[in-house]
Amino acid sequence: MDFPSSLRPTLFMAGPLGLSNVPDLSFMCSWRDALMLPESLPENSENGGPHMATQLLWEPETPGPLPLLPPGPDPWDPGVTAQDLLFRGGFTFRRKPRAVLDVTEQLSRFLWDHGDIAFAPLGKLMLENFKLEGARSRSKKKTVVSVKSLLQDLGGHQPWGCPWAFLSYRQRRFSILGGPVLGKSVASLLGELLHEELAVRWEQLLLDDAFTGGALAWVPGRTPQVGQLVYPAGGALDKLCFQEVSLTSSGAAQALRDPGHIQLRGPVRQVVTRTVQGETLLAVRSDYHCALWKVSKQGQPAPLPVLQVRKGATGISLSPHLPGELAVCSRSGAVCLWTPQDGLQQVYKDPETLVFCDHSSWRWADFTAHPRVLTVGDRTGVKIVDTQGPPGCGLLLFRGGAEASCQKGERVLLTQYLGACSPEPLHPTLHLICTQFSLYLVDERLPLVPMLKWNHELPSAPLWAQLLPPPRPGCPRPLLLGAQRGHLRLLHLTGEGASAPRLAGHPQSLPSSSDSLSAFPLLEPKSQWRLQERLKAPTIGLAATIPFPASEPVLSLFQLSAAGDIFHQRLRLQADPGATLHAPTASWTPQATAFCSRWLKALLKVPPPPPVWAAPTFSHRRLLGCMEQRTGEHKGPEGLRAAMAGGRLLQQRDLGPLPSAEPPPAPEPGPEDELSARLEAAWEGQMAAWWERQQGRSSGPSRPSKRHKRRTQLSSTFSSLSGRLDLSDAISPPHSPDRASPEAKSQPPVTPPSHESTQELWAQGVPSERQQTLRDYMAKLPLGGDSPRGVCSSLSQSPSLQATSSRSQTLQERTAELPPRRTTLRGAAVSSSQTSSLRATPSRQRASVPSGSQPQRKKPRMGF
Amino acid sequence: MSDFSEELIESKTEDDQEESYVFSGTGMSFPWLQNHIGTIATGGKKEKDFAQTTSACLSFIQEALLKHQWQQAAEYMHSYLQILEDSDSHKRQAAPEIIWKLGSEILFYHPKSNMETFNTFADRMKNIGVMNYLKISLQHALYLVHHGMLEDANRNLSHAETWRYGEKSSSQEVLINLIQAYKGLLQYYTWSKKKLELSTLDEDDYAYNAASQSMLNHSCKTSVNLGALIQTPGVWDPFVKSYVEMLEFYGDRDGAREVLTNYAYDEKFPSNPNAHVYLYNFLKREKAPREKLISVLKILYQIVPSHKLMLEFHSLLRKSEKEDHRKLGLEVLFGVLDFAGCTKNITAWKYLAKYLRQILMGNHLAWVQEEWNSRKNWWPDFHFSSFWAKNDWKEDKTLACEKALVAGILLGKGCRYFRFISKQDDEVLRKKIKRIKKSVENHSIVNPGL
Repeated sequence: MDFPSSLRPTLFMAGPLGLSNVPDLSFMCSWRDALMLPESLPENSENGGPHMATQLLWEPETPGPLPLLPPGPDPWDPGVTAQDLLFRGGFTFRRKPRAVLDVTEQLSRFLWDHGDIAFAPLGKLMLENFKLEGARSRSKKKTVVSVKSLLQDLGGHQPWGCPWAFLSYRQRRFSILGGPVLGKSVASLLGELLHEELAVRWEQLLLDDAFTGGALAWVPGRTPQVGQLVYPAGGALDKLCFQEVSLTSSGAAQALRDPGHIQLRGPVRQVVTRTVQGETLLAVRSDYHCALWKVSKQGQPAPLPVLQVRKGATGISLSPHLPGELAVCSRSGAVCLWTPQDGLQQVYKDPETLVFCDHSSWRWADFTAHPRVLTVGDRTGVKIVDTQGPPGCGLLLFRGGAEASCQKGERVLLTQYLGACSPEPLHPTLHLICTQFSLYLVDERLPLVPMLKWNHELPSAPLWAQLLPPPRPGCPRPLLLGAQRGHLRLLHLTGEGASAPRLAGHPQSLPSSSDSLSAFPLLEPKSQWRLQERLKAPTIGLAATIPFPASEPVLSLFQLSAAGDIFHQRLRLQADPGATLHAPTASWTPQATAFCSRWLKALLKVPPPPPVWAAPTFSHRRLLGCMEQRTGEHKGPEGLRAAMAGGRLLQQRDLGPLPSAEPPPAPEPGPEDELSARLEAAWEGQMAAWWERQQGRSSGPSRPSKRHKRRTQLSSTFSSLSGRLDLSDAISPPHSPDRASPEAKSQPPVTPPSHESTQELWAQGVPSERQQTLRDYMAKLPLGGDSPRGVCSSLSQSPSLQATSSRSQTLQERTAELPPRRTTLRGAAVSSSQTSSLRATPSRQRASVPSGSQPQRKKPRMGF
Repeated sequence: MSDFSEELIESKTEDDQEESYVFSGTGMSFPWLQNHIGTIATGGKKEKDFAQTTSACLSFIQEALLKHQWQQAAEYMHSYLQILEDSDSHKRQAAPEIIWKLGSEILFYHPKSNMETFNTFADRMKNIGVMNYLKISLQHALYLVHHGMLEDANRNLSHAETWRYGEKSSSQEVLINLIQAYKGLLQYYTWSKKKLELSTLDEDDYAYNAASQSMLNHSCKTSVNLGALIQTPGVWDPFVKSYVEMLEFYGDRDGAREVLTNYAYDEKFPSNPNAHVYLYNFLKREKAPREKLISVLKILYQIVPSHKLMLEFHSLLRKSEKEDHRKLGLEVLFGVLDFAGCTKNITAWKYLAKYLRQILMGNHLAWVQEEWNSRKNWWPDFHFSSFWAKNDWKEDKTLACEKALVAGILLGKGCRYFRFISKQDDEVLRKKIKRIKKSVENHSIVNPGL
């Protein structure tokens, strides 16, 4: 093998990362790499043209990649964002940005969402400190709080982000009373664990190394134009799909047939393929298992052994030299080599990191130019290990330190052996090492001194790389580098034989899937947002191929996103880019936009992911209550609410059939009539009389007793509360006004399992007089979240019944509802109103609407 | 002058600035942390408009460069220069380096830029602040060398060489050494040009004396210039090569040997295979004894067993009288063929086939077995699979024959590779295959008793 006869001058300095008194010779720009020192003058004296033939530009055929396959049937949830994890209050701009994990918000979310778990047992203990309705004179003690007034105070309270929230003395007393008991137990139990979990999530958000290496592979077929894409699909990424794809010279890639698939028992993290001596192998890494398949000439996979990795596998590589050989590394620091002859053998084990102490358990292993020598990498460096030599010894290939002029905090994210690329490798001894800042090329014959260093400036972690064969004979080789957020860089490497590897031309960035937004038709904001999220989904795999190596230099590029979409784009090597000032801009073809709108239609049919259960809030209770009482016409707000919950536009049909078609629900005239009558009265100066009349009418046909009236008001509050419950689904939750997933809340909240304890709380000999208040109170608390409407209706239906019987009835209903734990609130409301209607007057039956359609809201007073 | 004091302060605070994206928990820094934090920054003090526009401009330049839109990048660069007036001293300090890096990149690739533009830009940039003078001078000179303007480059380097600022720091010293070394390299080019001229002249010619005199002058200067840098640990191949050539030309063999030995064996230097290659070539030119050559190549063998000099090493070892040398000769051949890049090296296979026979005839079966034991579980698939048999036969019949012989010796007559090749019917190679078959019968290590 040829070794470069003269290497580029480099300073060599041993030391830790970020050593500042060494002049980093790679301070120089990328063009420095294009500079050549004349070997000896006479031959090179006329070498002078500023633009060498190394100027290469790949021109994308479309402004962005296009989806290759229709969207999968599983909904996709983008997961947590920085906004969910970090503290947002009082952020001041500073030179050093600091991320502060917001444990308090998460804790309070927990208290809101699972108040039943957090508070119910304590609430039970504190029962004697609450004064419920109707027991006014019973106690004058300071330790007893009136629930009703507390609720009234809470009514105007915005629990989050409201600086002018008013604290009444009652609330203060309540918080003084309850604070130490309620706060401490939960916080002390959960706080620490929560912080730990948040730290893990935050780290994962900054760098998710599970998919290092990529979960998309191109298995070449009989001709270079046909091949199979192998990738995981399904919501859990546990279905390994084999999609046959044909690449035509005219345009887009075509998916042939439906993909075949293999169902696995864990999420697929990495898919690797290699063709060695005509034999194509496919290796798949899951969290705790690795599997190997042999792909026949017809593209049929035949299973070979499955390896179990108890501590968790972090990397898998297939040997480029010997068919079927496989290197697996695990979080325990062990590297194993699997060979068809000898099976599994551990070749290296070191739980510590190589160069300095780093907490990450990420390990990586790859092959080298010698089939029995492996590279073993972790965040701090890469070592060459001879599997036949004595265990533990080896030579550092790359050291995170001053040798490679590493920065402070720089860590290895990816290492890859580049020599495996056929036909003729660049230098069969080159290794690619990527950190969050730079890309290094290291030759295993000259360890520690990078042959090339380039600052990639990628705005997310580079976790995929692929060296491609030269697009034209004699051309430099494209090296594709992909980052987690879809960013792509394309470099060209040249230097074969006796010359050192170097960059040819300026590296290029390629369009990512979020650049494709313009190909889709404009949508209403919510769907647009959903599409945007989908296009922005992190990349989890990358595959590229040059389908027509002989005729035209075209690069076909596939990207797999975490949402399960495969994006495809084609790039064409430009003939003479040096001559143009402006790089040409591609535009969408009509076929592409037509395809995109079809794809979009299919995407919007996919149901949005089930939302996390959102807690009810108190903020709009009063407002809505007033509105409902005044208007008397409920179709409008209800339709609005339903539309908001469904994430649709408000349309005429949401507002119900036109007034004439609807049977008159009540003797009152419609709102327009009311308004015009009111205006008329005002013009005539008889406003007061009109008001009197109006008051008389809205208070119902029969004047109820004072207590009745109070109850009516409460129950109307209640129904407004249930309305608000719906509404809260559509608006963002109170504590994060700018949380980034409206569709996450667009479905009705899922009913949490009901808790016996909360039932018992009000079942235990509470005077019937106080039950209503208690019910109201509980309904407002998250623990009453399951079917407050149902409770309401059943109770309002049976005022004359014994409280105990209605209670047991409700209990039965509730337990009956339990098994399908995710019954929606709407369904629960319907079922309970149906059961209640059995007991109630026949006139109520109109309220029992078949489930599926929007249940009609009953008027609060109709039960009386 | 204000720049000066600022930069002095700067050198102290540089460290904490670098930490700007370290997340406390892991010690790892994330360049994209700022983006995440940026998405949640709602209230509080915001960055100034000026800072926002300049950082946006910077990202536009980078984006344009990555899309090869040189014209656009140049336009943005024009606006970006305002950062030199930033009120934030940290940013103002860091600016010249960024401007130089991006600006030179644009000018290097821009189809309408020319040497004058680049020179003007470089000269301006050198004098903004004081920290970048040496770096920019060096890169400017390299640019000029690349474009064949050796004299201009030399002048540039001479300017830079005498430049001093403040206390002489170690990084400054290294840079100055590097500048001097490049200057030495330029002088070497002139020297070798003169040498070439000289070779065409007659020794009795009048011009000959003048030319040789000026050559001598150059060499003196060069040795001063090159000497300092190559003491510093690093990879200095072009400098060492030219320095040694000059020393050799003037008969300073000891000096040259010292330089090369130091370059190859100093432990502070990285283990550079070329250092050993240069030393070996020098010793070969010097007609050094075989022992000496072997000892140099032995070290190269330990660093790079796949080096092409290994075949030469094998020849040396084969001819040696020492038994352990001849044993090593076999090891070296096996070692070369272990590597993926050497599998089609026909010379190596030829040597191995020949040497195996020779060794087996010399009754050293144990040597072969020792080498073979560690390879017998993977060489058959790596070299002697039926895939390779077909492929090699198709591509290179001579190679296939050599490999078949080795396969037959090591694996016996039954091995796939040997069987495939021996079954082939080829007019030209029929005799050869017959000979191979006979050799395998005689020498195969599989059934040595038979």
